[in-house]
Amino acid sequence: MKPMDASHNTTIHVDRVSKRFRLGSGNEYSRLTEVIASNAKNWLSRNLLGAEAKVAFNKDGRADERFEGNDFWALRDVSFSIARGEVVGVVGHNGAGKSTLLKILSRIVTPTSGRVGVRGRVGSLLEVGTGFHPELTGRENIYLNGAILGLQRSEIKKRFEQIVEFAEIAPFLDTPVKRYSSGMTVRLGFSVAAHLQPDVLIIDEVLSVGDQAFQRKCMGKATELGSEGRTVLVVSHNLAAISNMCSRALLIDAGRLGLDGVPSQVIEKYLLSMNSMDGLVEWGEQEAPQSPMVRLRRVAVRGTVSETPTPQVDIDREIELAVEYDVLRDNAVNCVQIHLRDETGVFVFSSANAPSMNSGSDLTFGRPLQRGRYRSVCKIPANFLNDSRYVVSVFLGPEVGQPTIACDSVLSFVVHDTGAMRREYLGSWHGPVIRPRLDWSTESLG
Amino acid sequence: MASDETTSQPIRYYGQRDIWGLGQLREGWKSRELLYSFFLRDLLIRYRQVFVGVLWVLIQPLMSTLIFLALFFVLGANRTESGEVTSTWAYAPIILVGMLLWQMVNNSLRDATGSLVNYRHVITKIYFPRMLLPLSSLLCAVFDMLVGSVLILPVCFFSGVTIHWDTAILALVAALWLVVFCFGCILWLSALNAHYRDVGYALPFVLQIGMFVSPVVYGTEKIRDLLSPWALVVYESNPVAATISLARYGLFGNPLPSVLGLVTAFLVTLGLVVSGLAWFQRANQWIADRI
Repeated sequence: MKPMDASHNTTIHVDRVSKRFRLGSGNEYSRLTEVIASNAKNWLSRNLLGAEAKVAFNKDGRADERFEGNDFWALRDVSFSIARGEVVGVVGHNGAGKSTLLKILSRIVTPTSGRVGVRGRVGSLLEVGTGFHPELTGRENIYLNGAILGLQRSEIKKRFEQIVEFAEIAPFLDTPVKRYSSGMTVRLGFSVAAHLQPDVLIIDEVLSVGDQAFQRKCMGKATELGSEGRTVLVVSHNLAAISNMCSRALLIDAGRLGLDGVPSQVIEKYLLSMNSMDGLVEWGEQEAPQSPMVRLRRVAVRGTVSETPTPQVDIDREIELAVEYDVLRDNAVNCVQIHLRDETGVFVFSSANAPSMNSGSDLTFGRPLQRGRYRSVCKIPANFLNDSRYVVSVFLGPEVGQPTIACDSVLSFVVHDTGAMRREYLGSWHGPVIRPRLDWSTESLG
Repeated sequence: MASDETTSQPIRYYGQRDIWGLGQLREGWKSRELLYSFFLRDLLIRYRQVFVGVLWVLIQPLMSTLIFLALFFVLGANRTESGEVTSTWAYAPIILVGMLLWQMVNNSLRDATGSLVNYRHVITKIYFPRMLLPLSSLLCAVFDMLVGSVLILPVCFFSGVTIHWDTAILALVAALWLVVFCFGCILWLSALNAHYRDVGYALPFVLQIGMFVSPVVYGTEKIRDLLSPWALVVYESNPVAATISLARYGLFGNPLPSVLGLVTAFLVTLGLVVSGLAWFQRANQWIADRI
């Protein structure tokens, strides 16, 4: 990325911004005594115990370049500028650095290098109910929150009616916010942020909390702000929302700016980047994600009807997820764990070959294994997932929850609705994450 | 309308070098309405669901004054060196002034130290001048002191002590000085506590010691004879000691601390505020990452 200069129309100017976080040391402890204890522990594990370091791998199986010793680069060399009146969506995988970017733009976090410039007032809504005090009433909180967002009291007074009306909380104005439902809190938070008339409005994923009708209302409001000449920046996993309301989108990929363009293009690249085309990921001996104990060789998905791996699965078929790995030392203990998310990032389930999570039996769990190749297969029942894309992450390690190899979003597959589950109902199944076939019965009680 | 304002505004770059942290003061002044909101919120929350309400502000210094007065009476401290007995009540206004000023220090340091940590869920989600949080705790403590100082008149009346009105303004100067001193302290403490929570645990002990190291419940004249002249300067370089003595001098004509003591106390205050601003500015860079 070449450095860009801010033109007179630029509202946000991000100039070669990088952000480094220190892992382990630096931000985990907060007491002097713990500093000493943690230093001693580090010294011990380095010199006496020879503990394995956790190595993270990206999708291609190479050690992730974002890790550098104890440092993690959440963002690296990101540059762009946004003009007035643009509504820009930001997409990317979980942990790609989207939220860090928004926090830097809202001035909460200071970049390690590079600079960020903003013209005018910034309003940001990074979490539901930020700045709300549970003991204070809705009315008092509107003033407090408005003031935190940089508004003068007189200005808040002028917009008070609008804020209350948009949030639909008029009857609860004098109730303490601690008695509000989460939906009411989001509505109030968005309403305050949107009516402040900031020159730049930054929204992170909060809209997913409200109901459908309110989400639509919020999108309308964001577009309206854009047409008024304000700049709106939205992070969302809701790709449909991004393509509807944004005029431009940014893809953040592993801390770098992957693509900057029209939403349809960016979304396409985003989907492609999480898609392994043939339902199979394989690694050679050298490039494979590995620890001293195990080496991940192959992750594959298939519906049980097909013989070969495929990312296209029939909703009516059992799905097999196969993980193959080499055990590199005799008597190593290994556990396989998977995470499944849907394409909007919602965590659907986590499972492992441990007995408590296993409806079958896996004799290798917790037992010392001999050197060699192993395959663990997880079967996801038919008629359980909805017709949507799902993303698989794989973890290997000696214990559940303590992976030494973590492969995030290693492959994805699409469940296709072939009509097997819809003879009676032909409407939309959009919304639910899973669509299980459950046991129903009705009996006449006379 | 907004677009016209926008184009006329220059683009602001965050985190440009501001080593001495003076930009924070400008920023803090700009968002004084927010400071007022925080202050109001702190007051509201403190007195919501409290039966006696604002009366607590009066009861606290009054009760502590009475307790120490009773203690003095029991210990027989109401004798001067020559052995003549003075009324114990004459000590009441002196202790009260010490108490009012000390409780301002005590409450502001206590509340401000935890202020950033208690608000970490907001600090990590939204930007505003972070200095406002400890500053709001300080304002609350100042508010309490001002309300509490209405006690001085009736207490003087009942104990038969006359107020030197011509020099009373010095008490105000002393109080203002002490507020500035507290400002320097809370800049250091609040940001330190964000990184090392020990600060919050250690503070109550330090404050307890500080109360007896400073002439809160006794007059400096008692110390004077105990300490060598240099030790006395060290004693007086404590801004709390200097300001309390100054306030008592202004109100009741008690002896003034030495000039050297006053000057060092002033320099200590100045150094604390300047270094506090620079430190807070630096802390601002990492506070959301580490709090």
